Amino acid sequence: MSGAGQDRRHRSPPDLGGRRAVILHRPNPTVEALTRQLTAIGLEVAACWPELPATALAADYVFFDADMGHDDQFLWLPGAAPMPLIALIGSEAPGRVAWAMKQGACGQILKPVGDGGVYSALLIAREVFDERAALSAQIADLERRLGARQTVVQAVALLGLHEHGEEHAYNRLRQLAMVWRVPIEDAAHRIVAHGRDPADDSAPPRHRRR
Amino acid sequence: MMARRVIEIGLLFSQSGAYARISQAGRRGALRAVEAVNADPAIDITLRPVERDPQGNVDLYRPLCTEILRSTSARHVVGTTTSWSRKEVIPALERAGGALWYPCPYEGYEASDRVVYTHACPNQHLIPLFNWVLPRHGARASLVGSNYIWGWEMSRIAHDLIAEADGAVLSERYLPIGDTDVNRLIDEIAATRPGFVLNSLIGPSSYRFLAAMARLAADDPAFSPERCPVLSCNLTECELDALGPAAEGVISAGPHFAGYSGPAAWTEQPPGGFDSSMEGAAFRAVRALARLLSHRPDAESLELNELLASDAAAGIDPATHHMCQPGLVAQVRRGRFEVIEATADIAPDPYLARRHRQSPSRPHLTVVRP
Repeated sequence: MSGAGQDRRHRSPPDLGGRRAVILHRPNPTVEALTRQLTAIGLEVAACWPELPATALAADYVFFDADMGHDDQFLWLPGAAPMPLIALIGSEAPGRVAWAMKQGACGQILKPVGDGGVYSALLIAREVFDERAALSAQIADLERRLGARQTVVQAVALLGLHEHGEEHAYNRLRQLAMVWRVPIEDAAHRIVAHGRDPADDSAPPRHRRR
Repeated sequence: MMARRVIEIGLLFSQSGAYARISQAGRRGALRAVEAVNADPAIDITLRPVERDPQGNVDLYRPLCTEILRSTSARHVVGTTTSWSRKEVIPALERAGGALWYPCPYEGYEASDRVVYTHACPNQHLIPLFNWVLPRHGARASLVGSNYIWGWEMSRIAHDLIAEADGAVLSERYLPIGDTDVNRLIDEIAATRPGFVLNSLIGPSSYRFLAAMARLAADDPAFSPERCPVLSCNLTECELDALGPAAEGVISAGPHFAGYSGPAAWTEQPPGGFDSSMEGAAFRAVRALARLLSHRPDAESLELNELLASDAAAGIDPATHHMCQPGLVAQVRRGRFEVIEATADIAPDPYLARRHRQSPSRPHLTVVRP
């Protein structure tokens, strides 16, 4: 008897019905097999070669040929695709695999494509793409907050660091951030732009920004 | 009298093992259909069955399927019962250019170009079942199943449906196929008191579980079928004799139940109808194959997708190789299944990808019982 092996955290599969898939591959049985599998799952499929049409920007998934592909075929810079990319790999040469990864492939299917592989590639690519996007957003946020360190120091100085001490000034900053419902860094930015504690607005400014 | 082409077809049904009752029903349906085809003057072929018996042993399916395809002229094989065995034979079909007609309910997430699926997939069994149960018994459920893909995937879809309904899964357990140690499953259900139980156990595990649930209900009316029904998508008439009175009140979903002739019933049933959907789906597989082969010289050597590219394939969706099915919900009453709700013509959606894009599917036919 076992309840193990089943992940208790439950995650639903992505909604795939009516999603658009574009296949960037010269017409051949690989395209037919991919189209058959994608249509059976419920996606709308368009194939193109040798370039992606502008309409591909609205695609939910792009399958691309890793054997004959090159950077100029895409509508975006390598690694900046706005949707999950899935590499169609025939030649498993390291140069071609590296090129496919540089494009930002979130999954791969080996050629020749037969009776399966597409559904799991769609699930894996969606998950990888979403996780990458979440990580990128998290990193951008952390970088922004890291860059705001100097602003926080300035704001703490404006809020009475010298008169009342560091703890008091920092608590005042946190309090304002809470009232304004913004991150500490954003509150610091406002205070620095304002030039003083807003509570002191009746008093003459302590510090004027140039 | 026109000359009839003789065409061999493979039958791959286990005569013994944990799910023998189901595979024997399928075999019976296939053989009845062969008989009907061979007696049908409108058809110009005679089917000759070639049988192999994998004895419920998953490792025998692939070699026996290969043997049929290699040593006989059969290109079409009807059979396999578990998803596990179906997935085992697909590589053999690919190598030999054969096709499988699969006559059992399964968990979906497959649309092989080597397989025709003539029973129901989850949007045709589990979803009508949940449309029936959620408004009546709420969305607090226990899930039990056999420890392989059928049990796991049915429970996973149930998790999705229960989460959408803001419900909760109160307990969840799996037993190896053939295991009958159900005490822990029953203890957890007794302790958590769900509104219903989804039972995706197969064979003897399921029989023992249902017997224990019946005893639990006898001790505590909170577990009677009226208050905490046990639901299944794989229980049919072909297993009722193994259950006896323990089956009373059990609810099952499927495309057909014996004697049902109400709204959305399967058409073209033979005299006497089908004893179960397991028998009927195998019968319909052979009948559909015969229609596709009849009056088309050499059609037996066509690849499956070429064979299906014909008007006679009506009823088999060319994109998914599944069939449109009615979604019936039935309850065992006085030893036989009575249909309590029917949804007509549910188009197959084996990946449950189209579900969210359709208006919520409500049963539009209700069977009224006095």
